[in-house]
Amino acid sequence: MDAISRRAFAEQLALAAAAPWFVEDFKPPQQQQQIQEPSALAKALAEAVRVRYPDRFSADDLTAITRSIDGRLRAIERLYQTALTNADEPDFVYSVYRGAD
Amino acid sequence: MDFAFLPVVELGRLLRQKKTSATELATYFLDRLERIGPRFNAVATVTRARALAEATQADREIGQGKWRGPLHGIPYGVKDLLATKDYPTTWGAEPYRQQKFDADATVIERLGAAGAVLVAKLAMVELAGGMGYTQANASFTGPGKTPWNPAYWSGGSSSGPGAAVAAGLVPFAIGSETSGSILTPAAYCGVTGLRPTYGLVSRHGAMALAWTMDKLGPLGRSAEDCGIVLEVIAGKDPKDASSVNRGFRMTTQSGSKFRIGVPKGADKDIQPEVAANFRAALKVLGDKLEVIEDVELPDLPYGAVAGLIIAAEGASAFDDLLKDGRLSQLTAPEDRTGGYPALAVSAPDYLRALRVRRPMQRALDDFLKKFDALAVPTRTTVATPLDKPFRDGWPGVTGGANVIGPTNVVGVPGVSVPNGFGVQGLPTGLSFTARAFDEGKLVSLARLYQSRTDWHTRRPPLD
Repeated sequence: MDAISRRAFAEQLALAAAAPWFVEDFKPPQQQQQIQEPSALAKALAEAVRVRYPDRFSADDLTAITRSIDGRLRAIERLYQTALTNADEPDFVYSVYRGAD
Repeated sequence: MDFAFLPVVELGRLLRQKKTSATELATYFLDRLERIGPRFNAVATVTRARALAEATQADREIGQGKWRGPLHGIPYGVKDLLATKDYPTTWGAEPYRQQKFDADATVIERLGAAGAVLVAKLAMVELAGGMGYTQANASFTGPGKTPWNPAYWSGGSSSGPGAAVAAGLVPFAIGSETSGSILTPAAYCGVTGLRPTYGLVSRHGAMALAWTMDKLGPLGRSAEDCGIVLEVIAGKDPKDASSVNRGFRMTTQSGSKFRIGVPKGADKDIQPEVAANFRAALKVLGDKLEVIEDVELPDLPYGAVAGLIIAAEGASAFDDLLKDGRLSQLTAPEDRTGGYPALAVSAPDYLRALRVRRPMQRALDDFLKKFDALAVPTRTTVATPLDKPFRDGWPGVTGGANVIGPTNVVGVPGVSVPNGFGVQGLPTGLSFTARAFDEGKLVSLARLYQSRTDWHTRRPPLD
């Protein structure tokens, strides 16, 4: 793994099942084969999706949804490794509205 | 006369010299769209009646000596995610095949005010790829095909704009990019694509995939043509709160050299022809560049932020499809379930992504300010084959530097120009990326490159 850092590799691996293809360049097949068993949280969240729409998904659909959720959960871990303070706001600004009198 | 591959500047000269008319040009390109467009699944709707009306008006004005500018009387197409008041706006997706709006998108209004003639709504990947498509057959118009070899993909999600410009069906087109959707089809189709800074071009009337990441920009026959179009479409729009009070004017940077950063690994473990074309391109510009090799972008979770923002904003933008189940009508099987995992994204996680993006913007700007631009191969391979999932298209290609993702998530501009050919006679692309609102540098660099090469003038074998 000399071309990318361990953290970058972990992020790519997580995103492989989570993000639209255009978020990253295509990943090598060997990385795809290392997708792990989805976490209990991913399974629970996928079950919540199923409960919301009980008649909509096949078993294969639910497997794909579970893997995607699992990948995103792992990617999200990196967001919490970036240091933020209480004062770091989201990158949008809410503005108050007052219509014509 | 053969107008198909003439640049906008040349078509404008012919119009001013009365060697052709707007109506002749419109008819010429309308015929090509209808005759050749289906070969590449490039067209959603040919706007013949509107085009002929706009062309007639342009001829009348030009005849009266009223000259609106370099786009007056020039035909163009738009990705079918831009609203038009008199034709369907399909977003490439079966559930929206009959959708109509009662007003034009701001970009179309601005092009119309400049006298340009809308000849087609062009094909696109359904919902701009927001449901996570993994192979080319992801639009009700069929898989986009590159005119250089129709067994291969045109790129996406601006698949129609890329193919239509490459095949000489329109002189220029408007595409959109959330993360790669202008630059990728530009590279795969051998045309020039310019992704403006987020907010420079109004998104009003454009389908939203991710409100905080969507950008509209031109694909054309040259960087100069793209610059001409950007001059017309850039600027503040009261209907789009994210638009900024800046315009764009083309300039030529002369004298000092461009300081170019080449990211570490940019040409390592990618297709050999892509790597060779990249190095050859830098050599062509050698006397005008100061190249700094192996630069490294700040180590930040670009992919995680982009993935989360696109997932959350896309799921919200299309929550009606998720709720009523019409996702099942989409063409790509993976798109039919691709939106549901986003329902498991928590609000705090989405907000965390937006909070992380602010220091990410600062860090990337601090990095980019060291250079006039970064240079990379636009994609690590040529276009992928239509009959395989993207990830299986070119096995063994494991390298390259991902610049498209990080630069899209913070919204800085990029340009892709054709720089040669690779396997299967397919084109390759060279990209430059710069700080926010440095489109002028990008266009200058691209024009300089195109003044020394003729890749952008090559024509695909259509007959």
